[in-house]
Amino acid sequence: MATGNFARAKRRYHQSFWPLMAVYTVTIIGGSVWLGQYAVAPAGFAVAVALGATLPLIGILLVILRYFNETDEYTRLRQLNAFARAAVFTMSAVFLVGFLQLFDVIGRVEVFWFGPMFLASWGLAYCFGMVAGRTV
Amino acid sequence: MRNYLRRLRNERGWSQAALAERLGVSRQSVNAIETGKYDPSLPLAFAIARLFEAPIEAIFEDDSGPDTDEAAQAADTGSA
Repeated sequence: MATGNFARAKRRYHQSFWPLMAVYTVTIIGGSVWLGQYAVAPAGFAVAVALGATLPLIGILLVILRYFNETDEYTRLRQLNAFARAAVFTMSAVFLVGFLQLFDVIGRVEVFWFGPMFLASWGLAYCFGMVAGRTV
Repeated sequence: MRNYLRRLRNERGWSQAALAERLGVSRQSVNAIETGKYDPSLPLAFAIARLFEAPIEAIFEDDSGPDTDEAAQAADTGSA
């Protein structure tokens, strides 16, 4: 894999990330307020808000993927390492909660929250990796 | 792998950030290489060698000692 260019990758990441995050924030806040006006929101409106919030998030994930490919090798290694640790943590939680639900030990858990859990654990794993020892 | 990157950088009066910019990597990358936390790939090692106009082996040195195949072979030959 090419060594990449850290500064250029970071610049491109920020140029794409923040506009998408702004769209997401406006959509999720505006959409929630808008839908909150209805006792039962029309399905079409709810779908529009759901799509409006999801599409920029997908865009952000693709921007992150591009950043992995474009950045320098050490940053890529650290990011992917943290990404893998977060995946292990989140998937473990998914399986545990899934089996507990399957065997009727616990009630319904919103699957949605595993997304933010993954992103939070990724961030924590990355910070932990920065203070940990030898990388490769 | 041992390396002399910090010495070469200091000889030129460059900061880690300045060297990182010249190499197109993050300052953390330079720091990790200098402190031995990370061994660069061959393309990056060659880029460093080109920048300092020195052969790779003048910057990076194998410090794995007697565990290397070459050393083991030499030891075998010597004992035969």
